[in-house]
Amino acid sequence: MSDPAAESTAPQGSARGDDTAAARPGADPAARLAVAQAALVAALVAGGPLPDGFDAGRVDAARRALLRKRAGEVARAWPLLAGGLGTAFTPRFVQWAARRPPAGSFADGLAFAQQLRDKGELPPLAVEELAQRERPAPSVRRRIWPFKRR
Amino acid sequence: MTDCAGPGTGARPVASDLPDLGVGVGWRPEIAGVVADLPNLRFCEVVAEGIHTHVPLSGPLATLRERGVTLVPHGVRLSLGGAEPVSPERVKHLADCAALLGAPLVSEHIAFVRAGDLEAGHLLPVPRTRAAVDALAANYVRTVEGLGGVPLALEPIAALFDWPDDEYDEADFLTAVLDRTGALLLLDVANVYANARNRGQDPVALLDRLPLERVAYVHVAGGREHEGLYHDTHTDAVPQEVLELVTALAERATPAGWLLERDGDYPPADVLRAELAAITTAVGAGTRAAGAR
Repeated sequence: MSDPAAESTAPQGSARGDDTAAARPGADPAARLAVAQAALVAALVAGGPLPDGFDAGRVDAARRALLRKRAGEVARAWPLLAGGLGTAFTPRFVQWAARRPPAGSFADGLAFAQQLRDKGELPPLAVEELAQRERPAPSVRRRIWPFKRR
Repeated sequence: MTDCAGPGTGARPVASDLPDLGVGVGWRPEIAGVVADLPNLRFCEVVAEGIHTHVPLSGPLATLRERGVTLVPHGVRLSLGGAEPVSPERVKHLADCAALLGAPLVSEHIAFVRAGDLEAGHLLPVPRTRAAVDALAANYVRTVEGLGGVPLALEPIAALFDWPDDEYDEADFLTAVLDRTGALLLLDVANVYANARNRGQDPVALLDRLPLERVAYVHVAGGREHEGLYHDTHTDAVPQEVLELVTALAERATPAGWLLERDGDYPPADVLRAELAAITTAVGAGTRAAGAR
Protein backbone atom coordinates (compact mmCIF):
# COMPACT_ATOMS: atom_id res chain seq x y z
CA MET A 1 0.00 0.00 0.00
CA SER A 2 3.00 2.29 0.31
CA ASP A 3 3.61 2.39 -3.46
CA PRO A 4 1.13 4.82 -4.98
CA ALA A 5 2.02 3.75 -8.52
CA ALA A 6 1.07 0.14 -7.88
CA GLU A 7 -2.10 1.32 -6.21
CA SER A 8 -3.25 3.62 -9.00
CA THR A 9 -2.48 1.39 -11.98
CA ALA A 10 -3.64 -1.96 -10.63
CA PRO A 11 -6.77 -3.22 -12.39
CA GLN A 12 -10.02 -3.22 -10.48
CA GLY A 13 -10.07 -5.91 -7.83
CA SER A 14 -6.63 -7.31 -8.54
CA ALA A 15 -4.28 -8.51 -5.82
CA ARG A 16 -2.94 -5.31 -4.36
CA GLY A 17 -2.04 -4.21 -0.88
CA ASP A 18 1.62 -4.85 -1.46
CA ASP A 19 4.49 -2.66 -2.44
CA THR A 20 6.81 -5.14 -4.12
CA ALA A 21 7.49 -5.21 -7.85
CA ALA A 22 5.93 -8.67 -8.10
CA ALA A 23 2.53 -7.28 -7.13
CA ARG A 24 2.40 -4.80 -10.02
CA PRO A 25 0.11 -5.46 -12.96
CA GLY A 26 2.95 -5.97 -15.45
CA ALA A 27 4.63 -8.59 -13.26
CA ASP A 28 4.62 -12.30 -14.01
CA PRO A 29 1.22 -13.75 -12.98
CA ALA A 30 2.88 -16.51 -10.94
CA ALA A 31 4.94 -13.95 -9.02
CA ARG A 32 1.82 -11.85 -8.41
CA LEU A 33 -0.02 -14.95 -7.20
CA ALA A 34 2.81 -15.72 -4.77
CA VAL A 35 2.74 -12.19 -3.35
CA ALA A 36 -1.05 -12.18 -3.06
CA GLN A 37 -1.11 -15.58 -1.32
CA ALA A 38 1.60 -14.48 1.12
CA ALA A 39 -0.33 -11.31 1.97
CA LEU A 40 -3.51 -13.29 2.62
CA VAL A 41 -1.75 -15.83 4.86
CA ALA A 42 -0.09 -12.99 6.79
CA ALA A 43 -3.50 -11.38 7.32
CA LEU A 44 -4.95 -14.69 8.52
CA VAL A 45 -2.23 -15.90 10.88
CA ALA A 46 0.32 -13.17 11.54
CA GLY A 47 -1.69 -10.03 12.20
CA GLY A 48 -0.94 -8.63 8.73
CA PRO A 49 -3.19 -6.06 7.06
CA LEU A 50 -6.20 -7.24 5.08
CA PRO A 51 -5.28 -7.20 1.37
CA ASP A 52 -7.43 -4.85 -0.71
CA GLY A 53 -10.74 -6.02 -2.07
CA PHE A 54 -11.47 -8.85 0.36
CA ASP A 55 -14.65 -8.94 2.43
CA ALA A 56 -13.25 -7.95 5.84
CA GLY A 57 -16.01 -9.70 7.79
CA ARG A 58 -15.61 -12.98 5.93
CA VAL A 59 -11.82 -13.03 6.19
CA ASP A 60 -12.10 -12.23 9.90
CA ALA A 61 -14.59 -15.09 10.33
CA ALA A 62 -12.06 -17.39 8.64
CA ARG A 63 -9.23 -16.01 10.79
CA ARG A 64 -11.17 -16.70 13.97
CA ALA A 65 -12.22 -20.16 12.76
CA LEU A 66 -8.53 -20.97 12.16
CA LEU A 67 -7.69 -19.87 15.70
CA ARG A 68 -10.45 -22.05 17.17
CA LYS A 69 -9.28 -25.05 15.11
CA ARG A 70 -5.70 -24.39 16.20
CA ALA A 71 -6.81 -24.21 19.83
CA GLY A 72 -8.52 -27.59 19.46
CA GLU A 73 -5.38 -29.15 18.01
CA VAL A 74 -3.19 -27.74 20.79
CA ALA A 75 -5.69 -28.95 23.39
CA ARG A 76 -5.41 -32.49 21.99
CA ALA A 77 -1.59 -32.31 22.03
CA TRP A 78 -1.52 -30.76 25.55
CA PRO A 79 -4.42 -32.42 27.39
CA LEU A 80 -3.35 -31.45 30.93
CA LEU A 81 -2.73 -27.83 29.96
CA ALA A 82 -6.16 -27.70 28.34
CA GLY A 83 -7.76 -29.53 31.26
CA GLY A 84 -6.05 -27.27 33.79
CA LEU A 85 -7.38 -24.12 32.13
CA GLY A 86 -10.82 -25.62 31.52
CA THR A 87 -13.21 -23.30 29.70
CA ALA A 88 -10.57 -20.55 29.79
CA PHE A 89 -8.25 -22.57 27.55
CA THR A 90 -9.70 -21.60 24.17
CA PRO A 91 -10.08 -17.85 24.81
CA ARG A 92 -6.65 -17.62 26.46
CA PHE A 93 -4.97 -19.60 23.69
CA VAL A 94 -6.74 -17.65 20.95
CA GLN A 95 -5.62 -14.39 22.53
CA TRP A 96 -2.04 -15.65 22.73
CA ALA A 97 -2.02 -17.09 19.19
CA ALA A 98 -3.79 -14.31 17.30
CA ARG A 99 -0.62 -12.65 15.99
CA ARG A 100 1.68 -15.67 16.15
CA PRO A 101 1.81 -17.88 13.05
CA PRO A 102 1.15 -21.56 13.77
CA ALA A 103 4.30 -23.56 14.50
CA GLY A 104 2.58 -26.93 14.98
CA SER A 105 0.46 -27.98 17.95
CA PHE A 106 3.40 -29.26 20.03
CA ALA A 107 5.47 -26.09 19.59
CA ASP A 108 2.46 -23.81 19.97
CA GLY A 109 1.44 -25.53 23.21
CA LEU A 110 5.01 -25.43 24.52
CA ALA A 111 5.42 -21.70 23.90
CA PHE A 112 1.96 -20.94 25.29
CA ALA A 113 2.59 -23.00 28.44
CA GLN A 114 6.00 -21.41 28.97
CA GLN A 115 4.48 -17.96 28.73
CA LEU A 116 1.83 -18.91 31.29
CA ARG A 117 4.54 -20.20 33.61
CA ASP A 118 6.55 -16.99 33.21
CA LYS A 119 3.47 -15.04 34.25
CA GLY A 120 2.83 -17.42 37.17
CA GLU A 121 -0.42 -18.56 35.58
CA LEU A 122 0.39 -22.14 34.61
CA PRO A 123 -2.31 -24.36 36.15
CA PRO A 124 -0.90 -26.92 38.64
CA LEU A 125 -2.33 -29.76 36.54
CA ALA A 126 -0.08 -28.73 33.62
CA VAL A 127 3.19 -28.32 35.51
CA GLU A 128 4.39 -31.90 35.09
CA GLU A 129 3.22 -32.06 31.46
CA LEU A 130 5.34 -29.02 30.62
CA ALA A 131 8.33 -30.19 32.66
CA GLN A 132 8.26 -33.62 31.01
CA ARG A 133 8.19 -32.12 27.55
CA GLU A 134 11.00 -29.71 28.26
CA ARG A 135 13.35 -32.54 29.25
CA PRO A 136 15.76 -33.60 26.53
CA ALA A 137 14.30 -36.57 24.64
CA PRO A 138 16.06 -39.90 25.12
CA SER A 139 18.17 -40.89 22.16
CA VAL A 140 15.71 -42.13 19.58
CA ARG A 141 18.45 -44.04 17.82
CA ARG A 142 19.39 -46.03 20.91
CA ARG A 143 15.76 -46.68 21.76
CA ILE A 144 14.53 -48.08 18.45
CA TRP A 145 17.72 -49.41 16.85
CA PRO A 146 17.38 -53.03 18.07
CA PHE A 147 13.87 -53.26 16.58
CA LYS A 148 14.81 -51.72 13.26
CA ARG A 149 17.75 -54.03 12.58
CA ARG A 150 16.91 -56.52 9.88
CA MET B 1 -3.48 -24.61 -23.07
CA THR B 2 -6.97 -24.61 -21.66
CA ASP B 3 -8.34 -27.99 -22.61
CA CYS B 4 -5.38 -30.29 -23.11
CA ALA B 5 -3.42 -32.10 -20.47
CA GLY B 6 0.00 -30.70 -19.86
CA PRO B 7 3.10 -32.77 -20.48
CA GLY B 8 3.75 -35.48 -17.96
CA THR B 9 0.18 -36.17 -16.91
CA GLY B 10 0.13 -39.37 -18.98
CA ALA B 11 -3.12 -41.21 -19.55
CA ARG B 12 -6.10 -39.62 -17.87
CA PRO B 13 -7.42 -41.74 -15.01
CA VAL B 14 -11.03 -42.86 -15.40
CA ALA B 15 -13.32 -42.83 -12.38
CA SER B 16 -15.22 -45.95 -13.48
CA ASP B 17 -11.97 -47.97 -13.30
CA LEU B 18 -12.11 -47.84 -9.49
CA PRO B 19 -13.56 -50.77 -7.53
CA ASP B 20 -16.92 -50.36 -5.78
CA LEU B 21 -15.89 -48.94 -2.40
CA GLY B 22 -19.28 -48.55 -0.72
CA VAL B 23 -19.62 -46.26 2.29
CA GLY B 24 -16.39 -45.78 4.21
CA VAL B 25 -14.96 -43.59 6.91
CA GLY B 26 -11.92 -41.41 7.39
CA TRP B 27 -9.62 -43.47 9.60
CA ARG B 28 -8.32 -41.54 12.60
CA PRO B 29 -6.35 -42.99 15.53
CA GLU B 30 -9.06 -41.83 17.97
CA ILE B 31 -11.74 -43.98 16.29
CA ALA B 32 -9.54 -46.90 15.25
CA GLY B 33 -11.48 -49.27 17.52
CA VAL B 34 -14.86 -48.26 16.13
CA VAL B 35 -13.60 -48.49 12.56
CA ALA B 36 -12.07 -51.93 13.17
CA ASP B 37 -15.47 -53.19 14.32
CA LEU B 38 -17.45 -51.92 11.32
CA PRO B 39 -18.89 -54.85 9.39
CA ASN B 40 -18.70 -54.77 5.58
CA LEU B 41 -16.22 -51.87 5.58
CA ARG B 42 -14.58 -51.62 2.17
CA PHE B 43 -12.60 -48.39 2.32
CA CYS B 44 -10.96 -45.80 4.55
CA GLU B 45 -8.96 -42.71 3.97
CA VAL B 46 -5.84 -42.15 6.05
CA VAL B 47 -4.36 -38.67 6.51
CA ALA B 48 -1.06 -38.93 4.65
CA GLU B 49 0.88 -36.63 6.96
CA GLY B 50 0.15 -39.01 9.85
CA ILE B 51 1.56 -42.11 8.13
CA HIS B 52 5.06 -43.35 8.96
CA THR B 53 6.44 -44.74 5.73
CA HIS B 54 9.87 -45.79 6.98
CA VAL B 55 8.48 -48.77 8.89
CA PRO B 56 6.20 -51.60 7.72
CA LEU B 57 2.47 -51.09 8.16
CA SER B 58 1.39 -52.34 11.59
CA GLY B 59 -1.46 -52.19 14.07
CA PRO B 60 -5.05 -51.42 13.09
CA LEU B 61 -4.19 -50.17 9.58
CA ALA B 62 -2.30 -53.38 8.82
CA THR B 63 -5.31 -55.37 10.06
CA LEU B 64 -7.65 -53.40 7.81
CA ARG B 65 -5.40 -53.94 4.83
CA GLU B 66 -5.22 -57.68 5.55
CA ARG B 67 -9.04 -57.69 5.59
CA GLY B 68 -9.01 -56.27 2.07
CA VAL B 69 -10.18 -52.79 3.07
CA THR B 70 -9.02 -50.26 0.45
CA LEU B 71 -6.88 -47.56 2.12
CA VAL B 72 -6.52 -44.19 0.40
CA PRO B 73 -3.86 -41.69 1.53
CA HIS B 74 -5.41 -38.23 1.85
CA GLY B 75 -2.89 -35.40 1.87
CA VAL B 76 -3.64 -32.12 3.60
CA ARG B 77 -0.35 -30.22 3.46
CA LEU B 78 0.95 -30.50 -0.10
CA SER B 79 -0.27 -26.99 -1.04
CA LEU B 80 -1.08 -27.91 -4.66
CA GLY B 81 -2.66 -24.51 -5.20
CA GLY B 82 0.35 -22.61 -3.94
CA ALA B 83 2.28 -20.37 -6.30
CA GLU B 84 5.45 -22.18 -5.24
CA PRO B 85 6.29 -25.65 -6.59
CA VAL B 86 5.17 -28.50 -4.33
CA SER B 87 7.93 -29.92 -2.15
CA PRO B 88 9.50 -33.04 -3.71
CA GLU B 89 9.76 -34.54 -0.22
CA ARG B 90 6.00 -34.18 0.31
CA VAL B 91 5.32 -35.72 -3.11
CA LYS B 92 7.64 -38.62 -2.29
CA HIS B 93 5.87 -39.10 1.02
CA LEU B 94 2.51 -39.35 -0.78
CA ALA B 95 4.01 -41.90 -3.18
CA ASP B 96 5.47 -43.87 -0.27
CA CYS B 97 2.06 -43.78 1.48
CA ALA B 98 0.36 -45.13 -1.65
CA ALA B 99 2.91 -47.95 -1.87
CA LEU B 100 2.67 -48.77 1.84
CA LEU B 101 -1.14 -48.89 1.81
CA GLY B 102 -1.42 -50.50 -1.65
CA ALA B 103 -3.70 -47.61 -2.59
CA PRO B 104 -5.51 -47.43 -5.96
CA LEU B 105 -5.39 -43.61 -5.78
CA VAL B 106 -4.39 -40.75 -3.52
CA SER B 107 -6.15 -37.45 -2.91
CA GLU B 108 -5.26 -33.86 -2.12
CA HIS B 109 -6.94 -30.46 -2.17
CA ILE B 110 -7.43 -27.58 -4.56
CA ALA B 111 -6.01 -25.22 -1.97
CA PHE B 112 -2.84 -23.73 -0.59
CA VAL B 113 -1.64 -24.07 3.00
CA ARG B 114 1.49 -21.92 3.07
CA ALA B 115 2.97 -18.94 1.32
CA GLY B 116 6.29 -17.26 1.74
CA ASP B 117 7.56 -18.62 5.03
CA LEU B 118 4.19 -18.75 6.77
CA GLU B 119 2.11 -21.87 7.43
CA ALA B 120 -1.63 -21.22 7.51
CA GLY B 121 -2.37 -24.45 9.38
CA HIS B 122 -5.46 -24.94 7.24
CA LEU B 123 -6.62 -25.28 3.64
CA LEU B 124 -7.05 -21.87 2.03
CA PRO B 125 -8.90 -21.05 -1.19
CA VAL B 126 -6.93 -20.07 -4.28
CA PRO B 127 -8.15 -17.18 -6.40
CA ARG B 128 -10.27 -18.52 -9.23
CA THR B 129 -7.98 -17.10 -11.92
CA ARG B 130 -6.07 -18.36 -14.95
CA ALA B 131 -2.83 -17.83 -13.00
CA ALA B 132 -4.12 -20.15 -10.26
CA VAL B 133 -5.16 -22.79 -12.84
CA ASP B 134 -1.62 -22.58 -14.25
CA ALA B 135 -0.07 -22.98 -10.79
CA LEU B 136 -2.37 -25.91 -9.91
CA ALA B 137 -1.72 -27.63 -13.23
CA ALA B 138 2.05 -27.29 -12.83
CA ASN B 139 1.91 -28.70 -9.28
CA TYR B 140 -0.46 -31.47 -10.40
CA VAL B 141 2.08 -32.54 -13.05
CA ARG B 142 4.93 -32.44 -10.50
CA THR B 143 2.91 -34.57 -8.10
CA VAL B 144 1.64 -37.12 -10.61
CA GLU B 145 5.16 -37.59 -11.95
CA GLY B 146 6.30 -38.45 -8.43
CA LEU B 147 3.38 -40.80 -7.84
CA GLY B 148 4.52 -43.20 -10.54
CA GLY B 149 1.15 -44.02 -12.03
CA VAL B 150 -1.09 -43.85 -8.96
CA PRO B 151 -3.96 -41.45 -9.83
CA LEU B 152 -4.38 -38.24 -7.84
CA ALA B 153 -7.91 -37.05 -7.13
CA LEU B 154 -8.45 -33.35 -6.39
CA GLU B 155 -10.84 -32.11 -3.72
CA PRO B 156 -12.37 -28.62 -3.82
CA ILE B 157 -12.51 -27.05 -0.35
CA ALA B 158 -15.03 -25.10 1.68
CA ALA B 159 -14.14 -21.44 2.06
CA LEU B 160 -15.74 -18.61 3.99
CA PHE B 161 -14.54 -15.92 1.57
CA ASP B 162 -13.79 -15.42 -2.10
CA TRP B 163 -10.86 -13.57 -3.66
CA PRO B 164 -11.61 -10.13 -5.10
CA ASP B 165 -9.90 -10.95 -8.39
CA ASP B 166 -11.84 -14.12 -9.28
CA GLU B 167 -12.17 -14.58 -13.04
CA TYR B 168 -14.31 -17.75 -12.88
CA ASP B 169 -17.22 -18.84 -10.74
CA GLU B 170 -16.69 -22.04 -8.75
CA ALA B 171 -18.15 -24.48 -11.32
CA ASP B 172 -16.22 -22.96 -14.23
CA PHE B 173 -13.01 -22.87 -12.21
CA LEU B 174 -13.26 -26.52 -11.13
CA THR B 175 -14.13 -27.54 -14.68
CA ALA B 176 -11.10 -25.61 -15.98
CA VAL B 177 -8.82 -27.30 -13.42
CA LEU B 178 -10.14 -30.77 -14.24
CA ASP B 179 -10.03 -30.18 -18.02
CA ARG B 180 -6.52 -28.88 -17.80
CA THR B 181 -5.12 -31.58 -15.50
CA GLY B 182 -7.29 -34.56 -16.42
CA ALA B 183 -7.52 -35.25 -12.69
CA LEU B 184 -10.21 -37.24 -10.94
CA LEU B 185 -12.52 -35.30 -8.64
CA LEU B 186 -12.94 -35.98 -4.94
CA LEU B 187 -16.19 -34.15 -4.37
CA ASP B 188 -17.07 -33.13 -0.81
CA VAL B 189 -20.82 -32.57 -0.72
CA ALA B 190 -20.50 -30.80 2.62
CA ASN B 191 -18.13 -28.30 0.99
CA VAL B 192 -20.56 -27.85 -1.90
CA TYR B 193 -23.31 -27.24 0.64
CA ALA B 194 -21.22 -24.86 2.78
CA ASN B 195 -20.05 -22.73 -0.15
CA ALA B 196 -23.48 -22.53 -1.75
CA ARG B 197 -25.19 -21.71 1.53
CA ASN B 198 -22.68 -19.01 2.47
CA ARG B 199 -23.06 -17.45 -0.98
CA GLY B 200 -26.84 -17.74 -0.94
CA GLN B 201 -26.76 -20.16 -3.90
CA ASP B 202 -28.39 -23.51 -4.66
CA PRO B 203 -25.96 -26.41 -4.07
CA VAL B 204 -27.78 -28.68 -6.53
CA ALA B 205 -27.35 -26.06 -9.27
CA LEU B 206 -23.59 -26.23 -8.64
CA LEU B 207 -23.65 -30.05 -8.85
CA ASP B 208 -25.40 -29.79 -12.21
CA ARG B 209 -22.57 -27.68 -13.62
CA LEU B 210 -19.69 -29.95 -12.51
CA PRO B 211 -18.14 -32.74 -14.63
CA LEU B 212 -19.64 -35.45 -12.40
CA GLU B 213 -18.32 -38.28 -14.58
CA ARG B 214 -14.91 -37.44 -13.11
CA VAL B 215 -15.98 -38.00 -9.47
CA ALA B 216 -13.83 -40.79 -8.02
CA TYR B 217 -15.37 -40.72 -4.57
CA VAL B 218 -17.26 -38.42 -2.28
CA HIS B 219 -16.71 -36.85 1.13
CA VAL B 220 -19.56 -36.31 3.55
CA ALA B 221 -19.02 -34.32 6.75
CA GLY B 222 -20.74 -32.36 9.45
CA GLY B 223 -20.70 -28.70 10.31
CA ARG B 224 -22.56 -26.00 12.16
CA GLU B 225 -23.76 -22.47 11.86
CA HIS B 226 -21.72 -19.87 13.75
CA GLU B 227 -22.51 -16.15 13.63
CA GLY B 228 -24.61 -16.53 10.50
CA LEU B 229 -22.10 -18.55 8.47
CA TYR B 230 -22.05 -22.31 7.95
CA HIS B 231 -18.71 -23.77 9.07
CA ASP B 232 -17.51 -27.10 7.68
CA THR B 233 -16.15 -28.23 11.05
CA HIS B 234 -15.93 -32.04 10.72
CA THR B 235 -16.64 -32.03 14.46
CA ASP B 236 -20.45 -31.88 14.29
CA ALA B 237 -23.17 -34.16 12.99
CA VAL B 238 -23.91 -34.39 9.26
CA PRO B 239 -26.91 -32.10 8.71
CA GLN B 240 -29.99 -33.30 6.87
CA GLU B 241 -29.30 -30.82 4.04
CA VAL B 242 -25.95 -32.52 3.35
CA LEU B 243 -27.60 -35.95 3.32
CA GLU B 244 -30.11 -34.58 0.81
CA LEU B 245 -27.18 -33.48 -1.34
CA VAL B 246 -25.80 -37.04 -1.10
CA THR B 247 -29.09 -38.25 -2.57
CA ALA B 248 -29.03 -35.54 -5.27
CA LEU B 249 -25.50 -36.56 -6.26
CA ALA B 250 -26.36 -40.29 -6.28
CA GLU B 251 -29.21 -39.46 -8.68
CA ARG B 252 -26.72 -37.84 -11.04
CA ALA B 253 -23.52 -39.88 -10.77
CA THR B 254 -22.10 -43.21 -9.66
CA PRO B 255 -19.01 -42.47 -7.56
CA ALA B 256 -16.94 -45.47 -6.50
CA GLY B 257 -17.41 -44.65 -2.82
CA TRP B 258 -18.80 -42.32 -0.17
CA LEU B 259 -16.75 -41.44 2.88
CA LEU B 260 -17.66 -39.87 6.22
CA GLU B 261 -15.03 -37.48 7.55
CA ARG B 262 -14.90 -36.74 11.24
CA ASP B 263 -11.96 -34.88 12.77
CA GLY B 264 -12.76 -34.33 16.41
CA ASP B 265 -15.42 -34.39 19.15
CA TYR B 266 -15.85 -38.03 18.19
CA PRO B 267 -19.31 -39.35 19.01
CA PRO B 268 -20.01 -42.75 20.59
CA ALA B 269 -19.69 -45.75 18.29
CA ASP B 270 -23.44 -46.16 17.81
CA VAL B 271 -23.81 -42.51 16.69
CA LEU B 272 -20.98 -42.89 14.18
CA ARG B 273 -22.52 -46.12 12.86
CA ALA B 274 -25.89 -44.36 12.57
CA GLU B 275 -24.29 -41.59 10.50
CA LEU B 276 -22.77 -44.17 8.16
CA ALA B 277 -26.15 -45.89 7.89
CA ALA B 278 -27.81 -42.56 7.09
CA ILE B 279 -25.30 -42.00 4.27
CA THR B 280 -26.00 -45.50 2.93
CA THR B 281 -29.73 -44.75 3.00
CA ALA B 282 -29.25 -41.39 1.28
CA VAL B 283 -27.12 -42.96 -1.47
CA GLY B 284 -29.69 -45.73 -1.94
CA ALA B 285 -32.50 -43.21 -2.30
CA GLY B 286 -30.62 -41.39 -5.05
CA THR B 287 -29.62 -44.57 -6.86
CA ARG B 288 -33.25 -45.80 -6.81
CA ALA B 289 -34.53 -42.46 -8.08
CA ALA B 290 -32.01 -42.60 -10.94
CA GLY B 291 -33.02 -46.18 -11.76
CA ALA B 292 -36.71 -45.30 -11.83
CA ARG B 293 -36.17 -42.71 -14.55
